[in-house]
Amino acid sequence: MTATLGRFLVDLSLLVATSGAMVGFAAGFRPSASGARLARRFAYAFSALMTAANLVMFYALLTHDFSVSYVAQVGSRSLPTWVTIASLWSSLEGSILFWGLIMSIYIFVATFATRRDHPEYMPFAIGVWLACAAFFAFLIAGPAQPFLTVASPLADGPGPNPLLQNHILMAVHPPFLYLGFVGMTIPFGLACAALLTGRLGHAFLRPLRTWLLLPWTFLTVAIMLGGWWSYEVLGWGGYWAWDPVENASFLPWLTATAALHSAIVMERKGTLKGWTVTLVLSTFLLTIFGTFLTRSGVFNSVHSFTQSSIGPTILVFLAIALVWSVVLLATRIDRLTAEGEITAGASRETVFLANNLLFVVFTFTVLIGTVFPLVVEATKGTQMSVGRPYFDKMAVPIGLALLFLMGVGPALPWGRANGEQMRRALIPPAIGGAIAAAIGWAAGVRHGWTLLTLAFGGYTLWITVREIWLPVRQRMRSRGEGVGEAIVASQIHRGRRRLAAYIVHAAAVVVIVSIAVSSTMGKVSEVRLNKGQTTKIGGYELTFIGAEERNEPHRISTAARFEVRRDGKLVRVLEPAMNLYQGQREPIGTPDVMTTLTHDLYLSVMSIDAGAQVVGLHSMVNPMVGWIWIAVGFMGLGGLMALIPSRRRPVTDRDDVLAELHPIGSAPATTLVEEGG
Amino acid sequence: MNRRVLLAGLAITIPAILLFVVSLGRDPHKVRSPLVGRVAPDFTLLQAGSGAVVKLSSLRGKPVVLNFWATWCVPCFAEHGVLTEASRQLGPNVQFLGVVYDDKEEKILQFLRENGSAYPTLNDGGGKTAIAYGVYGVPETFFIDPSGKIVAKYEGPLTPQLLESNLQKTAGRS
Repeated sequence: MTATLGRFLVDLSLLVATSGAMVGFAAGFRPSASGARLARRFAYAFSALMTAANLVMFYALLTHDFSVSYVAQVGSRSLPTWVTIASLWSSLEGSILFWGLIMSIYIFVATFATRRDHPEYMPFAIGVWLACAAFFAFLIAGPAQPFLTVASPLADGPGPNPLLQNHILMAVHPPFLYLGFVGMTIPFGLACAALLTGRLGHAFLRPLRTWLLLPWTFLTVAIMLGGWWSYEVLGWGGYWAWDPVENASFLPWLTATAALHSAIVMERKGTLKGWTVTLVLSTFLLTIFGTFLTRSGVFNSVHSFTQSSIGPTILVFLAIALVWSVVLLATRIDRLTAEGEITAGASRETVFLANNLLFVVFTFTVLIGTVFPLVVEATKGTQMSVGRPYFDKMAVPIGLALLFLMGVGPALPWGRANGEQMRRALIPPAIGGAIAAAIGWAAGVRHGWTLLTLAFGGYTLWITVREIWLPVRQRMRSRGEGVGEAIVASQIHRGRRRLAAYIVHAAAVVVIVSIAVSSTMGKVSEVRLNKGQTTKIGGYELTFIGAEERNEPHRISTAARFEVRRDGKLVRVLEPAMNLYQGQREPIGTPDVMTTLTHDLYLSVMSIDAGAQVVGLHSMVNPMVGWIWIAVGFMGLGGLMALIPSRRRPVTDRDDVLAELHPIGSAPATTLVEEGG
Repeated sequence: MNRRVLLAGLAITIPAILLFVVSLGRDPHKVRSPLVGRVAPDFTLLQAGSGAVVKLSSLRGKPVVLNFWATWCVPCFAEHGVLTEASRQLGPNVQFLGVVYDDKEEKILQFLRENGSAYPTLNDGGGKTAIAYGVYGVPETFFIDPSGKIVAKYEGPLTPQLLESNLQKTAGRS
């Protein structure tokens, strides 16, 4: 019964999405208010149906209705409720259904938010969104049908993959990732609409930027949560392995970040329209490529779903989307005429251009490394894998260059900087770089790349803080305001978007520096301990005080208990464990981590014998890892802050705007200026 | 129509699509064994229960299906039925051998009593044979042709179809 209802809702949503896509395109080619309204109604109807289908699945999961095939596959009565909810996205069919849910939410909100604006673009955008939605509805209705009826249901099920039950982050990471991935459909639709109409006016930039920034924010946080999950659960002590599936999430992030920057140039200079649109299309295509990687079984990864039948279907969609994008770009890109131009010489826009090129090089570097094993196997028949050394070697210099440009860009004015301006803008921040490198040296950093990262990080942070401070100071001087008042007025009220961007930049500096330090300055030790024995690592004494077995409803957990002492004083008791889940034969290790402001003490067990009280311990001291999570959190907050809508207003106080936007001075090109810069 | 964009776009996308199409059937779990194409490493093991000596090289002249398994391995359980059934059907034309990895004699015998047996089951006590064959997870099955050469390897539980298609390779070369 429940299964039948689910199937019905999915089938209907497929019908509605397909029809809606056609209505959208028809209304785009023959503009009419009624056509646009009809397209919107189809979008709302799709959203309602797909959401309803997901609610049916949640209901079936929570009531343990094993007559629904997906529940029979991943459900289990012994699971905690959060695992039952998270099991919606723990396996292939459910994850595609959940994809549909996120898509329906995005389509609903985006359609509703733009219902009164951009009538020439929106029917096309809705048409593209619903075409994508139709594809996913087709996947759910056919190859990945989760609502099959089980003829003779069992009394209980096996539960989801134990790795996914092992940590609460598993309930959080996938939704964020989906919010990031699926959300890229919205800017894709908008970019297609711009190409289809052959226009990309200033007003349409705002929804494009907003709808790119929102999924970008989710994706940023999702990538961090994925790293965090890997760190907290997998027990190898790292957070990033250049695994094909990790790369799949990183690739669209790179192009989306590039697009966010080129959109600023487009906003300011009226150029780079075709380029920005290309980046937006690429971002979407890379999300579909990532979905193909994770869902086709082509790659082996901790994150991927095993062999599945939907690979070919996704590949067909990817091929259609690729060809569509290329043909659309080729036929329409010349219509997106530039209103201005970028002149050679040192200026903010040329740095943006360099930044964009670096992001694209980065994207290709990661992409090539990811698919290279496929190329070799297809052409030579030999199996190989591309490991960390390649990615690290390539990523470090590109990352460093980006870190440096992140400082140089904001320091330079729009237009053209003269020699004096450049000296004033670029030389003093070197003090920041020297200080950061000196601190690193004092703390024992001798690794060349890490010192360089610290130096560039200090340099860029100096500029970032200066850029936040300058408008505050100008305001204090010109209006005689106090510090607090000036900060609120110049940053929170008026320059919010600008401040948000600098918060993201400052956080990104911290992330890059933390990655450099944590990956080069860690300590590792592996020992075998009997009960009562002690080992030392990085100033800590770890005493194994015994192992015990605990029976929980869905698993048997064998925990080894360690007393952690520093200078003879007990600071903490850590309990890394091995968990054996129902229906599994290999236990899964769960590390235990003590996080401090400067480093993590990371313990994981390689083997554990509760009977003999012997443990094989893998211990690590990882400096600065905690900062990565915190800083990426700030990147997310910065993204959200930039999303808070700001009013457009005519320029009344020209000097004030000048001070706000061009701290080093250059004439603004437009008389209508959006708040912030 | 911007031809440069079209050509550049197609130059990237068409090879990419072709590559993915070719890769679709790829199974990342299937790691090719360097042993395929070489003479199977010889071993002498004792049959579980009877203690009879079995030497691989003495079995030349007919195809051998060499299956590494264990009683603690869940997929092996389902596979056992497939192998037993096939061995009964094919009779003396194909020699099936089970090699039990990391297990106890009593458990093996109990497993065979409960699930039936149709061919010799050898106990690889120290795991030396498994190491010689590069076994890294049971079940793994090697297909050896009448001349003693390994012609195929399969990782994971065999189905009747997979068993047959791999067995054909042993016939093709004899």
